[in-house]
Amino acid sequence: MTDPRDLVTDVGLLAEGAHDPGSPPAGIRRAPTGVDGLTTEHLVINMGPQHPSTHGVLRLIVEVDGEEIVAAETSLGYLHRGIEKLAETRRYNQLGTLMDRGDYVSGMHGEQAAALAVERLLEVEVPPKARWTRSLVAELTRIASHLIWYGTFGLDTGAMGQFLYAMRDRESILDILEAISGARMMFNYIRPGGVVADLPAGIDGRIRRFCNGFDAYLDEHHALLGGNEIFQARVQGVGEIDADTALAFGLTGANLRASGFGWDVRRERPYDAYPQLDFDVPVGTTGDAWDRYMVRMEEMRQANRMVRQCVDGMPEGDFTAKVPKVIRPPEGEVYASVESSRGETGVHVVSDGSDTPYRYHYRAPSLFACQVLEEILPGHLIADAVMLIGSLDIMLGETDR
Amino acid sequence: MLPDATVVRSILSAAGVHDAPAEETSLGLVCRVPGSGAPGVLAALRESELDFRILVDMLGTDTGEGIEITYHLRSLSRDEELYAKTALPYDGDLHSVWNTFPSALLQERETAELFGLKLVGHPNPKRLFTTEGLEPLLRKSVPQRSVEEVRQR
Repeated sequence: MTDPRDLVTDVGLLAEGAHDPGSPPAGIRRAPTGVDGLTTEHLVINMGPQHPSTHGVLRLIVEVDGEEIVAAETSLGYLHRGIEKLAETRRYNQLGTLMDRGDYVSGMHGEQAAALAVERLLEVEVPPKARWTRSLVAELTRIASHLIWYGTFGLDTGAMGQFLYAMRDRESILDILEAISGARMMFNYIRPGGVVADLPAGIDGRIRRFCNGFDAYLDEHHALLGGNEIFQARVQGVGEIDADTALAFGLTGANLRASGFGWDVRRERPYDAYPQLDFDVPVGTTGDAWDRYMVRMEEMRQANRMVRQCVDGMPEGDFTAKVPKVIRPPEGEVYASVESSRGETGVHVVSDGSDTPYRYHYRAPSLFACQVLEEILPGHLIADAVMLIGSLDIMLGETDR
Repeated sequence: MLPDATVVRSILSAAGVHDAPAEETSLGLVCRVPGSGAPGVLAALRESELDFRILVDMLGTDTGEGIEITYHLRSLSRDEELYAKTALPYDGDLHSVWNTFPSALLQERETAELFGLKLVGHPNPKRLFTTEGLEPLLRKSVPQRSVEEVRQR
């Protein structure tokens, strides 16, 4: 007997015609018929919010048939701090602190969106040096954020080594950002009108050293994880999102571009120094997890290119426009968006002419990625659920706000 | 960037919304539609020659007289953006547009919960962020600090 299932499906002992065991005696609910090795009932599994692979506090409720997911639901709100309500009592130049705590891995992009919205209300002209500095720190943040994604995505698929190398490079970026802004993650560096302080002396040499090293490191990263046969087997052809589904569910950023649709806010709605920067927008074909991996890896290379251009082309001049200490924009309503590490991070501000926003809305790209997760998970194995959450790069700080 | 206002008006009147103002504001081109008609109007805008295939964003605003819902639409083929606004009464019905734009699924749950609206026609009309029994947080009548917290200060 080689197949263990024969143990539970063996009917050799049954006498002919004795298949009905009859009803159980009083006090016993069902007859002890042993293990049914063939049919399974659906099981509802709760994953998270305290689960290491959910990248924060995502709670996922999945209904499984054996190993296969038949339905999934995301349950949010474990990190809900009411950023939109808090913003209604913050002055306009304090909004950056709230945005830092939204998408806390790429805080600069949130600050940038808030600053752009307020500038659009004020109709203020931002000096070139401020615009270039913003693009510089935004691209550095993008590399740092993608490195976190790269490290943890590898962990989600069972690889280990890449995480430490990713953290090593991310530390170098955080050191640079700390020298520029004074903080490692909660920067509050980009303010309406410009940036809060000029670049420190000698930072360009430090950034150049990082850029030169990082090109080689990126090839190593790709060889270490992308060249791993087990990783390739886990991600290639899994979790395909076609372009129509991605657009219908409002996906943006690398997740949308992996599906073959090359929409990038930096190119379609240029802001800050991006009209002057030379960069390519990588686009995938099938939209599977492997394409999302490849697009993000190429985005890091492009970001590194842009960082180098920003350092080389940094103009002279003021680092901020003349903006009053207490900003009172005229009545109105604006929407401004930036390409953050996760997609289109937008800020919709309604101003009533006072020193605080009347209504402040934060468009979080990860919220839309959560929706598409409910759509694509059914049909996949439960082991792939963790990998698919990782491939979409969901940041719970911004979904819950 | 801005779609043609007369074309938008003709699409709206074809969808049954007559005398709908479509005007340029600091936000862009904004059109106003009645609350219960929003799903039909958004579907008409999506199928029209303006091709508004994407619902970028959706938010509510407490105007003091009621809740104003703003839908932010984007056309990729023509690279244009349009905002559609509907005014709803407090505790009114928010008619779901998920049949046209699945990207509204979670946003509608969030808006309905935080502004105290009732979701109509939504496949999963549950609260999204907060627990049962909490006040609609984003309404202006709900204070940011509780009465107890203010008293302690």
